[in-house]
Amino acid sequence: MKTLGEFIKGLWRENPTFRLVLGLCPTLAVSTSVVNGIGMGIAATFVLVGSSIFVSLTRGIVPEKVRIPCFIVIIATFVTIIDLLMKAYAPVLSRSLGMFVPLIVVNCIVLGRAEAFSSKEPLARSILDALGMGIGFTWALVLISAIREVLGNGTFLGKILTANFEPPLFMILAPGALLTIGLLIGIMNYFVMKSKARVK
Amino acid sequence: MVWLEEEMKELIKFGLILGIICLVATLVLAVTYEVTKPKIEAQSKRGENAALKEIMPDAASFNEKEIGGIKYFEALKGKTIIGYCVTVVGEGYGGYMHLIVGIDQVGVIKGVRVLDHQETPGLGSQISEVKPGEKDPGFLRQFIGKSARTVEVGKNIDTITGATISSKAVTSAVNKTVNEFLAKMKR
Repeated sequence: MKTLGEFIKGLWRENPTFRLVLGLCPTLAVSTSVVNGIGMGIAATFVLVGSSIFVSLTRGIVPEKVRIPCFIVIIATFVTIIDLLMKAYAPVLSRSLGMFVPLIVVNCIVLGRAEAFSSKEPLARSILDALGMGIGFTWALVLISAIREVLGNGTFLGKILTANFEPPLFMILAPGALLTIGLLIGIMNYFVMKSKARVK
Repeated sequence: MVWLEEEMKELIKFGLILGIICLVATLVLAVTYEVTKPKIEAQSKRGENAALKEIMPDAASFNEKEIGGIKYFEALKGKTIIGYCVTVVGEGYGGYMHLIVGIDQVGVIKGVRVLDHQETPGLGSQISEVKPGEKDPGFLRQFIGKSARTVEVGKNIDTITGATISSKAVTSAVNKTVNEFLAKMKR
């Protein structure tokens, strides 16, 4: 049960976007459409799992003083692999995500999990943790981008929902992202505090 | 001097460990690069071919050529040249963009396609986005039938709301490159 908990915590209790508030830069930038959200989420999950495996496997070898450069090399390798793979096999998605795939290297979620978790924990638990965090990041991205795409563009997954709706452009722009994320975090904090009060 | 030797040993050890990790990473990347390289090249070639067919539907074949640093394609129908497809590099809001412009012999635009760009998703990216229910990108449709020498944002090309720089980049790049191309062809 405890091992499974490592997976589940990323989904809700320690959700990287809403609870840890990490990796907001790519979240703000790519959450303009649901397709982008899903693509970014999958790419980040791949990098998270891949780098967690290697950070966990090398945790006995890598000295503490040079751990950060080692983590970054491992993470950068996986990011480049997924970038090349997307260019080769999903060119449309790769074109629309553009710069944000290479920028996964500096996504704090990935380095954060390497530093806080997989550099100290055994392989299986590290993989579960990375998977949970990746899926947590993905659903957060999909939720935010769904709200922004529907309100700011009047479409969902590229399909027009209704013709009688003039979408407010600012939802697709950066202010819409900040507003959406802020409100969602606020709503979640409200429920978390309420459930905490109940426990007391 | 004992501590110094200790420290040197540690430094060398750290360097070696980091070096080994980098070596493994390089090997893995080299393999991935080699494996995906032909695929990526094929994808960009496929995108180029699709764009050529879209802007010159009447042409039966295309002949790749180069003049003064500008890559272009002769659009052939039988043995007669019915137009040219000129590749254009523009500098947009997010970086370079690659376009391809189809013109007839006197420089009237047959069609424009964006091969790749780095414009802001949701805004500048609309230069090449196809609206649901339509066949081609609305912004680029404006160019059809106009002389490449006269296209100008605000005059005969409408900008995309919120993406003035991207719209201007496409228009001025088309204008400039086609002018250059036609001048070189005359010579």
